[in-house]
Amino acid sequence: MHTPVKDPTGKTTEYRDENDTCPVCKSDRFLNKNLRLLVSPCYHRMCEGCIDRIFTLGPAPCPIPGCGTILRKMQFIHQTFEDLTVEKEVGVRRRIAKEFNKRRQDFQDLRSYNDYLEMVEDITFNLINNIKVRETEELIEKNRRENAALIELNIQRDERDVSSLQEEEARERRDREQRAAELRMMEEEEKFEKEREKQAIIDGLATSNTDADRLVAKTRAEAAKRSQARRRPDISNLLSSSTTTSYNNTRNTFAKDEPHVPFTDDWDDCHDRFSLRLPGDQSPYYDPTTIEVRKDVEGKYRAGGYMLEEVWERALRSAVMALDITPLPEDE
Amino acid sequence: MTVSLNGQASVVKKSLYEGSTQFRHWRFSSTSLAKLRASQNADAVAKIRNAFEDDSPGSSSTIQFLSADEEYLLVKLYISKISQLCAHFRFPEEVEATAVSYLKRFYLRNTVMDYHPKNVMLTAIFLAAKTSNHPIGIEQYVHSIPKTKPADVLDLEFLVAQSLRFEFTVWHAHRALWGIWLDVQTISGFNQATLEDEYGQALERVRASRMTDAELIFTPSQIALACLHSVSPDLAEQWANLKSPNTADAVMETISRIQEIIDTQSGPPDLAMVKDIDRRLKICTNPEKVVGSKAYMAKQAEIEAEAARKRTKKAEGLRANMERDPFADDAPGATLVPTEPQSAALNPTRDHRML
Amino acid sequence: MELNDQTMRSWIKEAKVGEGTYAVVYRGRHAVTGRPVAIKKIKIGQFKDGLDMSAIREVKYLRELQHPNVIELVDVFSAKTNLNLVLEFLDSDLEVVIKDRSHVFLPADIKSWMAMTLRGLEFCHRNWILHRDLKPNNLLIASDGQLKIADFGLARDFADPNPGFKMTWQVITRWYRPPELLFGCRHYSTAVDMWSVGTIFAELMLRVPYMAGDSDLDQIKTIFRALGTPTEEEWPGHTKLPNYVNIGQFPKSPLNLLFTAASSEALDLLAKCFIYEPRRRITAKEGLHHPYFFALPHPTHPSKLPKVAPTTKAKPLQVDDYEDDMQTEIKTTYREKRDKV
Repeated sequence: MHTPVKDPTGKTTEYRDENDTCPVCKSDRFLNKNLRLLVSPCYHRMCEGCIDRIFTLGPAPCPIPGCGTILRKMQFIHQTFEDLTVEKEVGVRRRIAKEFNKRRQDFQDLRSYNDYLEMVEDITFNLINNIKVRETEELIEKNRRENAALIELNIQRDERDVSSLQEEEARERRDREQRAAELRMMEEEEKFEKEREKQAIIDGLATSNTDADRLVAKTRAEAAKRSQARRRPDISNLLSSSTTTSYNNTRNTFAKDEPHVPFTDDWDDCHDRFSLRLPGDQSPYYDPTTIEVRKDVEGKYRAGGYMLEEVWERALRSAVMALDITPLPEDE
Repeated sequence: MTVSLNGQASVVKKSLYEGSTQFRHWRFSSTSLAKLRASQNADAVAKIRNAFEDDSPGSSSTIQFLSADEEYLLVKLYISKISQLCAHFRFPEEVEATAVSYLKRFYLRNTVMDYHPKNVMLTAIFLAAKTSNHPIGIEQYVHSIPKTKPADVLDLEFLVAQSLRFEFTVWHAHRALWGIWLDVQTISGFNQATLEDEYGQALERVRASRMTDAELIFTPSQIALACLHSVSPDLAEQWANLKSPNTADAVMETISRIQEIIDTQSGPPDLAMVKDIDRRLKICTNPEKVVGSKAYMAKQAEIEAEAARKRTKKAEGLRANMERDPFADDAPGATLVPTEPQSAALNPTRDHRML
Repeated sequence: MELNDQTMRSWIKEAKVGEGTYAVVYRGRHAVTGRPVAIKKIKIGQFKDGLDMSAIREVKYLRELQHPNVIELVDVFSAKTNLNLVLEFLDSDLEVVIKDRSHVFLPADIKSWMAMTLRGLEFCHRNWILHRDLKPNNLLIASDGQLKIADFGLARDFADPNPGFKMTWQVITRWYRPPELLFGCRHYSTAVDMWSVGTIFAELMLRVPYMAGDSDLDQIKTIFRALGTPTEEEWPGHTKLPNYVNIGQFPKSPLNLLFTAASSEALDLLAKCFIYEPRRRITAKEGLHHPYFFALPHPTHPSKLPKVAPTTKAKPLQVDDYEDDMQTEIKTTYREKRDKV
């Protein structure tokens, strides 16, 4: 038997029908306005009154004739679907989804993923239609044992997906509210400005001798400047922060860890086309340009880690590299 | 393509040189170089002719524009001046060689009728000093160069960098030559007494090769070997056989081609001819590039107008986007003001941009 | 520059993801293929000596390097006063991963990151380039988990046949800087980068920076306290370095006291990164062949490494951000008009 699995987003509603009647006590909405029918793990309905009456003192067999499954009060949940068979199917599917939650990336190829899905579907079908129930349950148990770690990991991943979705919705709602508030504020200020502008014009006309038109234009310009300075639309809120979407933090469990290889590139540095002499060799290169370095009177080259052989090596490599590259043909 | 050492062509690895921008983008054949310069010149003439026509119709018919060869001669003259200037600043050979390469490459993408090589040369040296880790301050630089202001050099810097496709790394033959000289010492039986002398002569030939197109066609090690070969052929061949046993013949052939180029192209240009070219250049220089000319001003004005138009159009576009927001209502007179930059620095320790 | 303008038009900026005094970074994509990229717009003309050395270095070296563990410079284009580097888009780096304590690191994870870092670094050194700014912040992580060395603004080639020429000692962020630089030496080599690698290795294990001093002097003290003061035998000539100071004698304490969870091979590699005499310090190539990498467990496959999303908000574009594109359009329009003879 299963434990009832609630819908995690909490968005579904309870099913109700006008003609609801409790099959056990036969009461209906006419008799009992608050009649509420709940569903048992064995997919039988009965009203809260009966449930209280039968199961308050502890586990008891299901009262529906022919069933007799031992039930507890806690196991009853509200009905979502009109058709109880649908309810059962949904329940089974929810449960199986928790047990078998591998994703495409957990498989090497599409074929194996599809095989997996088919197997899961078979199991589901059997459970819904009460076919080979015990065998199927054993399969589920086996899967749980073998894949415990992965199942757990994927459960965490699913939960994270859901919560990040909720977060995002909440954020969007907040953004929208904030924007609305800001715009309201701007409107207020604008109105105030307009009033001030009008007043300034009137005052100006009353007190000065300048041309009326010019005065009006001047005041308008000043007002516009002020409003422009104030208007710093915080456009950043318009664009949702798309780069902070949740990363898939769980590891892709498929890719195999390979043994270490020192180099993963194919560039040839030609170091094997000459044999490098070192400054400390018995007969090093005759190189008048670097005598001072080799003497290193103050020891500063050595202390700092300067390596003369690197200078030689660099020159040597450029000497042997690309010697046999054919020039581009002349007819191009 | 290099072949793995056991002689079989099983693992063909590319040498690091083949990954360089020099190999990938600045490698030509003599014919393709000639074609490039010719078409470059033709385009330039057409454009400048138009500019003259816009300025005063009918004026271009009397002008004798420069040919591709004439352009090349002028560039060569300024290449020859680089060495002098670098010696004055005591720049190392790396800077000098790099500046020459920059000047050559610049004129594969531009014409002297737009930009006079005198200024480009100054800029090329300045830029080469920076990219070779021997940067010099602009004030100090122009101080030693008569009749030159900082702007003369700096104004062109970005253009030069752009013309180089921002590919600043150049591999030079003189370093390869030094490498050969070191390696040759490991061949038993080499004569040390004469070696230093021979090295000096070979190095002079490498410097002469900078006047030619050799670096645009061949690799630095090939050029270096060619220069050594002209001074001590036996030693060069011996070394080449050791390094490239399978392809020695091909290498030798390449070398003889390089010799020919150096022999024919490394001489300084005829001074009289160059003077004449320079004189004619004054007449056929693109008026749009001459600061203060009518055509220059006209072009600037038009660009400004276009810029203003585009700016307002863009601003309106952005505002329209904002207004599509259901919560906004028509706010007359609203213009966008850019938001202030964030204070968070991308890289906190940017003070030490030194060597 | 028609090729340049054509290039500029192939890249579309989508949002601004970072800004500093030196450059602005955008997220963008290719107009046709949709390939995600980061476009780093560097303002030029701000410096009195022309093109900024950092910009030159970044472009110079990235143009030549092609390796899976070095950031790829996809394209370069320029506008009137800006230089735009189109880089592959990497929105995570090792620093944020280390700081996010909700992720537990397996030893195999650390091994994987170290291997990728060393491969990228060895490639730089093979090309005669010192990075000189290695730190977790500059080790970027791609969506497939590959680690890439980035930020070549302080890089420089070495092994130049001019040993008289000095290099600056003021490079590498303090906590990751080797003692030879702290003592002001002007002639050094790849060992400076390997010291940084050692400190990064330690940080991966400790989840906090290993030796964090708050001044150059304090940094030396911190290092000596952690690793013991070097003797003349250990590091010949170091007392003659320009900025040498006698900090005091600190004893060596074995690394396993602090790095309790590390395997003996890991500690051996770590110790070799911290050898005082730069010449004897392990090189990147040697590091890649160290037993640590060949011992079990195998390095974690990059796709399975912990990843953390960036926390920076992307900003929409302003009129200024369209400047470069407008410039191109203007030039094109002008050219078209003029050539319409």
